[in-house]
Amino acid sequence: MKKGLAKQWRTELHDLLRGASGGFLFGVPLLYTMEVWWIGSSVGPVRMLLALVLTFAIIFFLNQTAGFRRDSAVHTTDALIDSVEAIAIGIVCAGFILILLQEITLQTPLHEALGKLIYEGMPFSLGVALANQFLRGDEGRFDQQSNSSRSKQLSATLSDISATLIGATIIAFNIAPTDEIPMLAAAVSGLSLLSMMIASLLISYCIVFASGFTNYQQRQQQRGIFQRPLSETIASYLVSLIAAMVMLLFFQKLEFGDPWQVWLNYSILLGLPATVGGAAGRLAI
Amino acid sequence: MSHSSQERPTRSIAEWTTFGIASTILGAIAGLVIYAWATEQDRPPVLTLERREQIREAQGQYYVPFTVENTGGETVESVQVVAELRVNGQVEESGDQQIDFLSDGETEEGAFVFRRDPRRGELTVRVASYKLP
Repeated sequence: MKKGLAKQWRTELHDLLRGASGGFLFGVPLLYTMEVWWIGSSVGPVRMLLALVLTFAIIFFLNQTAGFRRDSAVHTTDALIDSVEAIAIGIVCAGFILILLQEITLQTPLHEALGKLIYEGMPFSLGVALANQFLRGDEGRFDQQSNSSRSKQLSATLSDISATLIGATIIAFNIAPTDEIPMLAAAVSGLSLLSMMIASLLISYCIVFASGFTNYQQRQQQRGIFQRPLSETIASYLVSLIAAMVMLLFFQKLEFGDPWQVWLNYSILLGLPATVGGAAGRLAI
Repeated sequence: MSHSSQERPTRSIAEWTTFGIASTILGAIAGLVIYAWATEQDRPPVLTLERREQIREAQGQYYVPFTVENTGGETVESVQVVAELRVNGQVEESGDQQIDFLSDGETEEGAFVFRRDPRRGELTVRVASYKLP
């Protein structure tokens, strides 16, 4: 009985992490859009309520087909309950990143914080509800490949690196040319940069290993050179940081004459969405 | 997926706990929005500018810090702050500064930089304009 209970909690945790991962995949690009912060700041309470109701309606329909749970919702009540959870997960995740980016601080007035939370939480919640749809993938596709000879290890490592690079570049490409990174960097402190790094690693780990997306059991077996979950997460974070830096250079947000602090700040700030992209890339292969 | 057609098992304690927490969060957010709605008043924006800090001198330049606060109700956009330094009745130096957003109760800080010592002339720092979003 006790064992069953522990298993229930584990399943629940996996479901929640899967939902959160879907939210990050879908919501992070919009988090780096200052127009959304501004709309959040100036929007009135009536519109906030309308936004909540609208999100709820969309997510309710999504939950009847996709959802974030292992077992998809069959009954209407299940879909309703899942919708409440999806919105809560979305809002909590969005709030977490908004606090990290210092868009919500203790000085932020209440209605502004609420507006930002609700408007940024919307895409996150949609991502939560689409979690299964996103990266369902075919389980067992990799079964034949799991015998690990030396050359296979190398090619698995290479394909992981390139997948991370492609995913990270796609997201970084979207954010690097805009003004958000310099703007966020202006307000950033050493402590918040450190927490951003930790958050990037955690989110990346959750998306690839903890959320139980696709071929995750398979992922936990060692294949490539850095295939242990921890080392893979760290290595892919570094790859994503490099992708972010290259994109910033490409769009001339960074130049060789800039002080190293600017390089560091910008790369870590863009590194968060890039890592999310990189994690998605690794899931897609 | 094969299991999507299966009947979903009844909700576990874990699932109910999550639902409880989730609905508390959502309820709190909705409650706060309604609270903001109820306390929302049709107050026009009131922008106050203060110079709380001392003028600072560094490398031949004078820094005049200022603070703008919106003590009214509505959010404003593009708040323009202008500073003028008059010596013997003539404007010797001026500067302006734009603040993107200032919502109800929000404070923004900035500084003007002058080449002459503002303490030796007549310095005015004021909010010149804003627009409504």
